[in-house]
Amino acid sequence: MEDTQVVASLVRRCISGDAIAWEEIVQRYNRRIYNICYRFAGSADDAQDLTQEVFIKVYRTLSSYDSDKAAFMTWVTTVTRNLLVDHFRKTKQDRLTDSLDNAASEHEDAQPLSEQIPDQTAAPDASVQSRETRETVHRALQKLSPELREAVILRDLQDMDYREIALALKVPEGTVKSRINRGRAELARLLQRTYKQVI
Amino acid sequence: MPGEFHNGMQCTEFDAVLSDAMDAVLSGAKWESFQAHARSCQLCGPLWAEAQEGRHWLKSLEEVEPPVNLVNNILIATTGLDTIRLRGQASEPSKPSLTDRMRDLLGTFVSPVWALARQPRFVMSFGMAFFSLSVALSVAGVKLNDLAHIDLRPGAIRRTYYETSGRVHHFYENIRWVYEIESRVREFKRATTPAEPAPEEENNKQRKNDNTSGQPDQKQERNYSQGENQPVLAATPDDPPVVMGTTHRRFA
Repeated sequence: MEDTQVVASLVRRCISGDAIAWEEIVQRYNRRIYNICYRFAGSADDAQDLTQEVFIKVYRTLSSYDSDKAAFMTWVTTVTRNLLVDHFRKTKQDRLTDSLDNAASEHEDAQPLSEQIPDQTAAPDASVQSRETRETVHRALQKLSPELREAVILRDLQDMDYREIALALKVPEGTVKSRINRGRAELARLLQRTYKQVI
Repeated sequence: MPGEFHNGMQCTEFDAVLSDAMDAVLSGAKWESFQAHARSCQLCGPLWAEAQEGRHWLKSLEEVEPPVNLVNNILIATTGLDTIRLRGQASEPSKPSLTDRMRDLLGTFVSPVWALARQPRFVMSFGMAFFSLSVALSVAGVKLNDLAHIDLRPGAIRRTYYETSGRVHHFYENIRWVYEIESRVREFKRATTPAEPAPEEENNKQRKNDNTSGQPDQKQERNYSQGENQPVLAATPDDPPVVMGTTHRRFA
């Protein structure tokens, strides 16, 4: 995953005030953190703001990082997850139901999501169809509960192992596995419901 | 139903090893009993299928590219400054040259005017102005090609100025000389013109009635002639008056 010694050295240099080391850390992890934020928040603008907040918090609390307890990526993911949960509470997305036909998000039009699913037989271009399918999956991911969403994002999109996810989410590994499986199944049901309505 | 026993595996156990089965780390007898349970259990079978499908959908999501300025924004928000390397990366392509800066400076002034000038209502006005100017230049005989040959060096401009002022001075002197000659000729003519014969008695009476100035006729005509366009350079009366001066008081 990550070169532990190199990262530990970067962290030490950064704590001692080396700006180049901090830039190296930002360069190394910004893409990963941005993707977590984007998949969780669903919006590119929110993801950018949240990524900046994550790194600001990491920069301020870098001296509290203990390399013996967890890997740096796990620690950064924990910070990210806490900020995402705070963001989720502020935006009150937990009031949304799992139905895809509910009120649209900021990227969607006024019509229900099921009406925006492209007709696969009529799609002129496979790449366009694939892009629209990914958009549909991305929107369906936003309908999952935050506990299930963060678990499947860290596992299936960030390829973290169960132990790291358990450390980041501060829950037992069994709970992590259960949430991941429930999240996957729930997502499949949402998408099945959507495509059945189209067909 | 949780806790239900199918093919040697309970639903709780199925749920516990579901992740291992998804990760393909389940093997042997446990894998076979897992599959058998999935086939027979009405709850766990669909859960297994849905979990596989959900993971398939999630794996179809690609990694998104972060915004280009994200790293820079983070560094500015944290350290307050760009780092040296960022400055080096950003400064070379973005450092504006003098030409670019001049272009930008001109652009700030030209762009609003140009945007205004592009409006249709002004385009027709500019077209008419250009047409009028070109017609006026053609009538005046000015060719735009001639303007290209104008020497605008300081020395040439100074020489042109002196030549022009000298030409004007000569013209003025020539005009003055011509007027002086005309004046002399006119005086000579008057001096050489013979006296007119004496008019008749009635004509004299009539003239006396017309003469309101109280001067002799000849003198009056001369005055009119002088008053028209000729300056009085010198005039000597026929019988100059005798000046009677007394200077005895001075010598007394």
